[in-house]
Amino acid sequence: MINIENLRLTIEGKEILKGIDMHLRPGDTYGLLGPNGAGKSTTIFALLGLRAFESGRIGVLGGNPANDAVSIRRSVGVMPEKAGFYDWMTAPDYLKWYGRLYDFVPTEKVVAKMLEKVGLGTEAHRLVGTYSRGMKQRLAVARALISRPKLLILDEPTNGLDPKGRREIHDLLVEFASDGKAGVLLCTHLLDDVDRLCNRIGIIDNGRTRLEGSLGDLLAEQGGGQRYRLRLETDPDTTNLPAGVAIAGHEGGWWCVQVQAAPSEGPSSLWGELWRRGWKIMEIRSEASSLEELYMRYTGQDRPHAREAVL
Amino acid sequence: MMNTIWIIARKEGAQMLRSQRGMIWLLTFSGLLSAFSLLLVSNTELSLLDNAQVVYMMAGTVMAAGALLAAILGSDAYAGEKERGTLVPLLCAPIAPNTLLAGKILGLLTAWGVMFAVATPYLWAVGASGQNLGAALFYLALFGTPVALGFGYLAVALSARTGSVLASLLGTVTLLMLAASPLVIGPGLRGTAVGRILDAINPFAGALNTFDSVIIDSDPFSAQTSRLILVTVWLVLCLLAARRSAARPDFQ
Repeated sequence: MINIENLRLTIEGKEILKGIDMHLRPGDTYGLLGPNGAGKSTTIFALLGLRAFESGRIGVLGGNPANDAVSIRRSVGVMPEKAGFYDWMTAPDYLKWYGRLYDFVPTEKVVAKMLEKVGLGTEAHRLVGTYSRGMKQRLAVARALISRPKLLILDEPTNGLDPKGRREIHDLLVEFASDGKAGVLLCTHLLDDVDRLCNRIGIIDNGRTRLEGSLGDLLAEQGGGQRYRLRLETDPDTTNLPAGVAIAGHEGGWWCVQVQAAPSEGPSSLWGELWRRGWKIMEIRSEASSLEELYMRYTGQDRPHAREAVL
Repeated sequence: MMNTIWIIARKEGAQMLRSQRGMIWLLTFSGLLSAFSLLLVSNTELSLLDNAQVVYMMAGTVMAAGALLAAILGSDAYAGEKERGTLVPLLCAPIAPNTLLAGKILGLLTAWGVMFAVATPYLWAVGASGQNLGAALFYLALFGTPVALGFGYLAVALSARTGSVLASLLGTVTLLMLAASPLVIGPGLRGTAVGRILDAINPFAGALNTFDSVIIDSDPFSAQTSRLILVTVWLVLCLLAARRSAARPDFQ
């Protein structure tokens, strides 16, 4: 659905993108990660044909945005980072108006169902100008989905949402991607969103793709799993550990353990097992996730392609 | 394409008529015309101004107010949308740059149409007793429209190029004030060579001279050809500038 090879783009004499690679296939939920100013939004604008690029190749839904931008955009739902609306419209009026730009005339029923899905069903009669930031964020998701796109591009979709709102948006995205034909490109700083939703990731930094591939493979390659710090009453027996648990370090009364795969019942059963093996656990703290470690390793340093794209 | 242009134009029109700002503008414009009409009618009653002179002044005022409104709306067209965060969603929709521009321009035309409609009863009130009301309305439509819209297109061009409402408004209103300045269009400078050159290239002066010619002097249409070309060229140049800027607007 998206194929970007060695994309280079300059804005006002400054090279913003210096080598972006991205490959998103039907059914993928792709997490595009990178620090502020890394070039994530510019990459999105380039693949929508809103930014002309110097060199490289972009293919979106079989078309080239340099020539077929309008027809590509007809099949793409976009949620930009800044969720702006016409404050004097109501949400249903706005969605109907916006849908028409896609030659799609949503019925009252479709609009009401969409607003219900994003949690704005009871607030539909209010003017958008009276909405909170979180409500506007939900409406932005509805706007991206209203034209029934084949490809969904979301820039920080859960920013400003409470945990319940985040979960609702997650559910919507999972539902959207569930038919296996559509694709989702998710730009976010929230690694938890990527952890939950994405099967592929790309990490970009300073205009370059640093890492790309299947999330599962990448985590497995770097020794995946989750790391915890445990404060113990006494020194434990480190020779008798449950399967999938390894000691990663020891400092004072704190023991750092790497859990490769938590039991299906959740980590609490693992703590019970350790307790039975003599680990007198007094306190448990979750350490940075492996994805976070991966992210930290590949960002914040200016070096050429650290790894070639993993296809 | 026509459908998309219409969808955008309808939004532009509704934004003007339904927003607080649009209503304030229309009320201010009506108040200004009321006060001006009262002043002019009083002058006519006291025989300080003849009826044709009053209609001429009223037509000029409507055109200036129309150009100012077009400058305000044009400045808001891209930069205002950018500042409110609504430009990117528009650009992400399947709309060609020229279609978006055409929708915005149709919105400007609608705003000018509303102003023209609001101004008509006032023109009628001050000019009904004279012979030149019809000519005033006809030439205001023919010459006032390209002049006012030209300033609107220029504002659109600056708005798309700079991405700043303030910069666009400042640039366009400054040019409008220069074009409509009594120093430029007054009789003093007109007597000089520089004044005559400015008069020949200033679309605002061109339209005003036509109003003077047809309303006061009752000259025929054929005498207005060069000025009609001037205002048409002005409109086309401003449209080209708007088209060029709107092809790659500043949105980020």
